[in-house]
Amino acid sequence: MAEVDGGNGPLRVGVFVCQCGLNIAGTVDCDSVAKFSEGLDDVVVVYNNKYTCSEPGQLEIRKAIEENDLNRVVIASCSPRMHEPTFRAALEAAGLNPYLLEMANLREHCSWVHIGEKDAATGKAKDLVKMAVARARRLEAQEEMVVPITQKAMVVGGGIAGIQAALDLADAGYKVYLIEKEPSIGGIMAQIDKTYPTMDCSI
Amino acid sequence: MAEETKFKCLRCMSEFRLPYRHGVTEERTCPNCSSNSVRRVKEDKK
Amino acid sequence: MADVGRHPNIELHAYSEVDAVSGYVGNFNVTVRKKARYVDVKECTACGDCEDVCPITAPDEFEIGLSTRKAIYQPFPQAVPSAYVLNIDECLGNNPIACGKCLEVCDKKCIDYDDKDELIHIEVGTVIVCIGMDVYDPTPLDEFGYTRHENVITSMEFERLINSGGPTQGHLIRLTDREQPKTVAFIQCVGSRDANRGNPYCSNFCCMNTVKDCLLIKDHYPDVDIKVFYMDIRAFGKGFEDLFQRSKDAGTIYIRGIPGEVEEDPETKSLKLYVENTTEGTMECHEADMVVLSIGAIPRKDSSTIQQLLTLQRSQDGFFLEAHPKLKPVDAATQGVFFAGCAESPKDIKDSVTQAGAAAARANRLMMQGKVKVEAITSTIIPDLCTSCGICVKVCPYNAISCDTKAKTPATVVEAACAGCGACSAECPFGAITMKHFTDVQIEAQIDAMLEVDAKDKVLAFACNWCSYSGGDLAGTNRFQYPPNTRLIRTMCSGRVDKRFVLRAFARGAPIVLLSGCHFADCHYINAVHWTQRRVEKLWDELEKKGIRPERLQLEWISAAEGQKFATVMRAVEELRQKVTAEEIEHTKKALAGVLEPRKPRAATKKATEQEAAAQEAA
Repeated sequence: MAEVDGGNGPLRVGVFVCQCGLNIAGTVDCDSVAKFSEGLDDVVVVYNNKYTCSEPGQLEIRKAIEENDLNRVVIASCSPRMHEPTFRAALEAAGLNPYLLEMANLREHCSWVHIGEKDAATGKAKDLVKMAVARARRLEAQEEMVVPITQKAMVVGGGIAGIQAALDLADAGYKVYLIEKEPSIGGIMAQIDKTYPTMDCSI
Repeated sequence: MAEETKFKCLRCMSEFRLPYRHGVTEERTCPNCSSNSVRRVKEDKK
Repeated sequence: MADVGRHPNIELHAYSEVDAVSGYVGNFNVTVRKKARYVDVKECTACGDCEDVCPITAPDEFEIGLSTRKAIYQPFPQAVPSAYVLNIDECLGNNPIACGKCLEVCDKKCIDYDDKDELIHIEVGTVIVCIGMDVYDPTPLDEFGYTRHENVITSMEFERLINSGGPTQGHLIRLTDREQPKTVAFIQCVGSRDANRGNPYCSNFCCMNTVKDCLLIKDHYPDVDIKVFYMDIRAFGKGFEDLFQRSKDAGTIYIRGIPGEVEEDPETKSLKLYVENTTEGTMECHEADMVVLSIGAIPRKDSSTIQQLLTLQRSQDGFFLEAHPKLKPVDAATQGVFFAGCAESPKDIKDSVTQAGAAAARANRLMMQGKVKVEAITSTIIPDLCTSCGICVKVCPYNAISCDTKAKTPATVVEAACAGCGACSAECPFGAITMKHFTDVQIEAQIDAMLEVDAKDKVLAFACNWCSYSGGDLAGTNRFQYPPNTRLIRTMCSGRVDKRFVLRAFARGAPIVLLSGCHFADCHYINAVHWTQRRVEKLWDELEKKGIRPERLQLEWISAAEGQKFATVMRAVEELRQKVTAEEIEHTKKALAGVLEPRKPRAATKKATEQEAAAQEAA
């Protein structure tokens, strides 16, 4: 893979407006948002997709970054808490630092909560994209710190779930500390006589 | 320890008394409208 | 269970609690308190000699008080570790003159009355939270008479009564006369599916548990009549419907309707259940020798302790909140922490085992890589601007910043310890701390872009990533509607919101600003949210001094589970916005115009201040 682009050089922002089927497009006029985005500072290309998170959608992001030499990406789709990792990976695959991505939440924070208010929701969507572009223009590449992982686990609670989790991890070769508040493990399960659906005993 | 002092809700503007301990930051909720925009009214400055 | 005790890779700490947790994914430092057991677990052979001579009897917790145990006891025969425990509060042996009998008879001499709590430190990469559930206490539902009628018992007590290892060796008897009941009634959904009394949620396992109990009774006592009073029988799992049909075939009668009252016959101690049969539409009275209340699950009493130690979130029902209800059902929002079993929601044994396997697999996936990337959202000190005032050191919830205020050397951040809340950056009076990926310029650019056009019509809301922003997401997935003029700016923590951001928004013509963060108990950054509140309190004073109505700055705590509250708050804030006049906004813009000027180069200011101080000293 090519060396990761740190996003220096003249700003070239790409905007991807996602319709999310009808989830967004049912309430927000995505064409209008896309057209509006074209006029924002440093935006060099705007895409309007049905599903940006789909395989073709992600391929399009990669292609767009490479073809247009993009160094900032704005994806106007769902909550970053949903798909930020997905799209960060797409940037990385295209050789762009993943921190040069900004998302505008047109679904959870717009189309789904302003149903039937197409004009107002479209206006809000434009604002959200505008804010995202403004922020994206000032984003900087970041290097993630790689830290070692202690290959041991702690399981808090020794009921049936804790026992199973501890055994699974221990069988996989990890050292497991099982912490149980009571003098014995077993939890509520141990107090139950027979258990469904097998009708055998619990311990 | 916790004395009561006057608070005002900056959403519904109602005034009420809540426990207050100097220097302790606590979550406060307006008993009238459930807002958290609850501001202490400094009574000594009257 | 015994496998756990034997497994070479498992270090079991029974009778222990988690005392403190620090660190982050891959590198948690945990302090475990091993409570004084007064019996050496390694030496004890569970011979039981001590128990025989112990003069103290107490209610047996494992048998839910249906039988007694001694002050020195084994919780139950199959206990792991297979060792005794001494309840020192009940024991007389603190004073050897008073008793000390158990020590006398103990061959191994493994009893130590002076045993003390021990703190041990462990380092782990991942944590699986399986703290389970508590059972609902039916006392408040007085119509069932649990506290008044002795033959009304809970389903947990029933489990012990029918268990061959239990206090009656598995003989089903009534508590009043020790006779075998001829009719048994079960009441379903006790404490479940009632928003007003008990809990609104379905406890998941109670229907099938009752079906199983009915089959057990019919297996042992085919002549016992059983009636089950229910709202709905939820037999949705694999093989469940089959069991349900079997229990019907065995003669169990299911009656749709929850009794409104359970009355005791003072002489026979038998019970009358008054119920509206909603299938037949008739008022009925049924008699039973014994009533079993099928009680639901509630979150563990000490959930909040674990919640705070690991900075977790809980749903509105009090169970732990997963990172995503469909896509990350066993992950906590805190990286490296996973849930299994009833800690996350009420579930049966099969589901608990399934979830435990999933949690173990998720933890394995992280650990097997040997290393993990940590999000690059950390704070950085600009040494030239730092005056070594030490405020950031006080603010940081993670003790990640150190600063020698006497030597006046600039503060330093231990990046690995920084969790990225940004409270230090917001509190630094000199702009000497930047938050990577959430810098001042980035956030100010969002504010400016939002308020460039028609500022007076919009509501600016700051929201923290983990709670209030997620609460907004939940409002979305639930389609809770609210006015469309709100615009959110996301920060990792509300503690990141610098007062300059708020003032800048007002200077740009914002009619109203909302600062929203997590409830104090939910804060993802230990207590960074405290700084949000203190800052807002100061801002209210500052705004008032400048002739700006303080109520134009609103503060709300919204958890990731409070989609409804998010929508309600947005509606309330919009109502407040409508009351803000154009004149007011113009006045504010003038009063705060100074905020828009770039921060003075602090290095120069710092030097100027020092020079000034030097000059004053000289004078």
